Amino acid sequence: MKKLVSLLLVLTMVSTMLAGCGTSQTSKSGEKSEAEKIIEQAEKMTLQELYQKAIEESKGKTMYGIGNSSRGATAATGFIEELQKIDSSYNGTIEWSQPKNNSIFTLLNADITSSSHTYSMTLIQDGNQIQSKMLDTGNLLNFIPKEWKEANGVNEKENGHPLALQTLNKVFMFNNLGNKNYTNCWDFVYEDASPLFMGVDSEPVGKNFLYMLTNDKYATYLKKAFDALDSTKQAYFQTTIDEVAEDGKSLGLSGDNTKYGLAWIKLWCEKYNEQTDDGPICNELVTTSAVGESGLLVYSKLRSVEESETVSVNNVTVAAYQDEYAGIGGYAYKHYLQLVKTAPLPWTACAFIAYMVTTEEGFYAWGKDMGGYSANPNINQDHSQDGFVDGVDTYSAKNDRGYDWWVSEDGGALVVEDPKYCSEVSFNMSDWIDVIIGNKATAE
Amino acid sequence: MEQQILQRPGKSRIFMNKVKTFLCKPQNVVLLVLGIILSVTTIAPIVSIFADTISIHVGSVDAHLTGKTSGYTLVNWIDLFTGNLSRQNVWIPLGNTLLLAFFTCLGAIIYGGIFAYLVTRTNLKFKKYLSAIFIFPYIMPQWTLAVVWQNLFNSHGVTGGSDGLLASLFRITMPAWWCKGLFPSAVVLALHYAPFAYIMIGGIFRNMDANLEEAAVILNTPKWRIFSKVTLPMIKPAILSTILLVFGSAMGSYPVPHYMNLTTLSTKYVSMNVNRAGEASILAIIMMVFGVVILMMNQVTTSSRKSYTTVTGKSGQISKVNLGRVGKYAIAAIFIILTTFTSIYPIISFAMETFLPNPGDYSFLTSGNLSNLTLKWWITSENLTENGMYGQLGILFNSTIWNAFKGTLIVSICCSLIAGTIGTLVGYSVSKNRRSKAAGYVNAIAFLPYLIPSLAVGVSFFIFGSALGIYNTYLLIILAGTVKYIPFASRSALNSMLQLSGEIEEAAIIQDIPWFKRMFKIIIPIQKSSIISGYLLPFMTCLRELTLFMLLCSQNKIVTTLLDYFDEMGLYAFSSGINLILIIFIIICNGLINKVTGASLDKGIGGN
Repeated sequence: MKKLVSLLLVLTMVSTMLAGCGTSQTSKSGEKSEAEKIIEQAEKMTLQELYQKAIEESKGKTMYGIGNSSRGATAATGFIEELQKIDSSYNGTIEWSQPKNNSIFTLLNADITSSSHTYSMTLIQDGNQIQSKMLDTGNLLNFIPKEWKEANGVNEKENGHPLALQTLNKVFMFNNLGNKNYTNCWDFVYEDASPLFMGVDSEPVGKNFLYMLTNDKYATYLKKAFDALDSTKQAYFQTTIDEVAEDGKSLGLSGDNTKYGLAWIKLWCEKYNEQTDDGPICNELVTTSAVGESGLLVYSKLRSVEESETVSVNNVTVAAYQDEYAGIGGYAYKHYLQLVKTAPLPWTACAFIAYMVTTEEGFYAWGKDMGGYSANPNINQDHSQDGFVDGVDTYSAKNDRGYDWWVSEDGGALVVEDPKYCSEVSFNMSDWIDVIIGNKATAE
Repeated sequence: MEQQILQRPGKSRIFMNKVKTFLCKPQNVVLLVLGIILSVTTIAPIVSIFADTISIHVGSVDAHLTGKTSGYTLVNWIDLFTGNLSRQNVWIPLGNTLLLAFFTCLGAIIYGGIFAYLVTRTNLKFKKYLSAIFIFPYIMPQWTLAVVWQNLFNSHGVTGGSDGLLASLFRITMPAWWCKGLFPSAVVLALHYAPFAYIMIGGIFRNMDANLEEAAVILNTPKWRIFSKVTLPMIKPAILSTILLVFGSAMGSYPVPHYMNLTTLSTKYVSMNVNRAGEASILAIIMMVFGVVILMMNQVTTSSRKSYTTVTGKSGQISKVNLGRVGKYAIAAIFIILTTFTSIYPIISFAMETFLPNPGDYSFLTSGNLSNLTLKWWITSENLTENGMYGQLGILFNSTIWNAFKGTLIVSICCSLIAGTIGTLVGYSVSKNRRSKAAGYVNAIAFLPYLIPSLAVGVSFFIFGSALGIYNTYLLIILAGTVKYIPFASRSALNSMLQLSGEIEEAAIIQDIPWFKRMFKIIIPIQKSSIISGYLLPFMTCLRELTLFMLLCSQNKIVTTLLDYFDEMGLYAFSSGINLILIIFIIICNGLINKVTGASLDKGIGGN
């Protein structure tokens, strides 16, 4: 028995060493890393100069990118073609992968601490985790291309730190067959509402949206929408608002209107009907049988609906497009482009990022569809008439009113993700939300 | 006068001689090498996961609570078991997981057992057809039945979302407990594992000695008493084996509870991994603990005297119960209807889904207009124009799908070859060193991963692979698959090797025939069918495995993760198409192997 125990101990030690052998301590000195030095130079270069550097660096090599969007692969194909136009003998490739669930963060951190590094760049979402797991630790590095910075209409403060490829919107929609109307964002959490929504645990950007509602700006949006309700509805919501007022203090939230944000979050979590993805939500809302149903989903999903006898885009209304609508129209989150601090091919990564944020072709994979807005307005495509067929406005829900309209308070009043704010409130708020969802699951 | 002085050999020499003698036997070398390899590949991932529970993860709750960004802490353990969320993060999921595993076992054994009895011990009609069709749910990915369940029973009024078939055609709405949660999850998993129970219990029913039952009949024993006192004890080992194997598998199932909205340890692991990574790893450890407990129970049951002593003989006079002239057709008809829903309907529904213009858009049924059907999900060859396919190419032209299929084949073939070979060697060397503790250890360590729920094995390989920088590589997937499926081969090989008399090989040793030749010319040919089973089962299981691999690779690496991705995205035409291809491929493989080698999953029970 002793021998067996000793053998197990030895094996355990060997295993631990083996598991740990891949890790290496990163330097914590103030000295800049190789990638940081290259970024410093790259930020002063034009796109053409970056292309040259990329060709020199990655000829015959493969750059590995990883992202939350599979369209990165399409953009990569265009980028390689661009390099081949300059040098026909260029034979580098880009291998793009899209990991499941939340493993992108674990994977990137593992790659960084490993003795051999694979990934050079990433296209990543979820501002909260990016801030706390990647930016605060310096594991991802920000690169702002010169031509992006100098482009007209670019807001570096809003979209440069970290560099945003695009903003995507998830908007409230409802099936307009029947008599049910949703003219206020509080209607989606009223009495028998059961909006379709991706669970906050399946997609953390949904949780970030809820965190952002405690921010003064958006809590005030909700307060104003509450004031616009009739007295019956106000009385219905007032109970919850009073109930959560104390919670705000214990959560360290001191805004005047925080309680409206918390009340809306609580009711939303209690009422939403969890779906695996926005695709099934869209498939459902557009059918004739989904009378009166509502949902919060990616706007661009409407693009792929094929008209049939029981399915039509005209069966849905985008809530914020109604003239009389009050309150938030949904939320916006961003896809960020970052270099990995241990990038094996940093020049190529910089050039690829610059290609995606400064050229129309580079952004085409996303820009061709409604509901995705580049942080560089010069490369956005106009989708304001996507619902027109032969010059006639046939599917008005598909006529995208554009980024500026969506984020303005007078327009779509989208709740825009702020990584720093999310990471500040996430730990307390996350538990508070989890308790509500847990109680709901137990009650069911 | 010369004096011969006899010198006592030194200790080191004695030791060296012992080592030399030990290593002279190939089975000892195999045992030693496999002992080291299996210990490292099994224990290292487990150690990694333990280390993860006490590590501080940047941006996670442990970092927030300790105020540190690195180092070690016990805060994950403390917070998980004593924090505000302990009830919903650990106790409720644990309770649900145990209930799910229990009811899955119960359902699988009752359904599979009754079917096994009817096929082997009665004059039921259409046995061959029923036997073949009954195992379909086991070869299909397990969550496909969950999707079918949703499509049948969901209703706008109860579950929200679209009406299922019953609600839309007959206005029948099933209650919430029927549509979501523990009941449908347990039923779906029980249907998935019932063929497993059928194969295990059916094997014994077919081979057991009917004389015992006949003796009881002669003694005028009532039928219920014969069943409870004679038949049931005889099939007890098979029931126990089924429980042991199904319990662990059901515990670790992720996709079924995920689709059925049941919070289990597996689903909780995935959701907690965002900001409670360390605590999530503890959930995986809890699952592992159950795996070890099951292993210990398995050791107790297989080593106890009671086991298998009643099923050693084979009677030539298996008595068949007469179900009556009507009964044999009526019961067969019931099973034909049941298996139509569990085996045929999913395939038809998958095929149908690939011709619908929008996912779930059955407007052609209500309108009777066939022009509402489309081939676009199969034949679209460009994605520049909007085809209502979210930018995807049709299945026939979609390189992502075919590359994933290729990836699955690579993984399945490699896992099958490596696991099959290692398993056979384990079986051989353990059978040759039956009483040695080292052999017992190698046998146990090889079997352990099978009893640990798949998700827990996946988690440990995910952490282990990430640390080694081999995440998202075929190497890691093959490693995890091999370790997990070695037990298929080792059990099969061990059981067959134990039947083999040592004299056969000894005769060859006397003839000075080398080990390799003995293996390839004597041992393997004699036990060909068991050894082929050891290769076949890992291959089949790998083809449809999701839970084990889902954390180890990106979604387009293998076909099951891609299938799950399309299912979650609501692109049911793609997921259905892939499912269809997968099922047909498995059926063809099973048929081919059956033709070539005579081995098949239901062979010897009712199929052939």
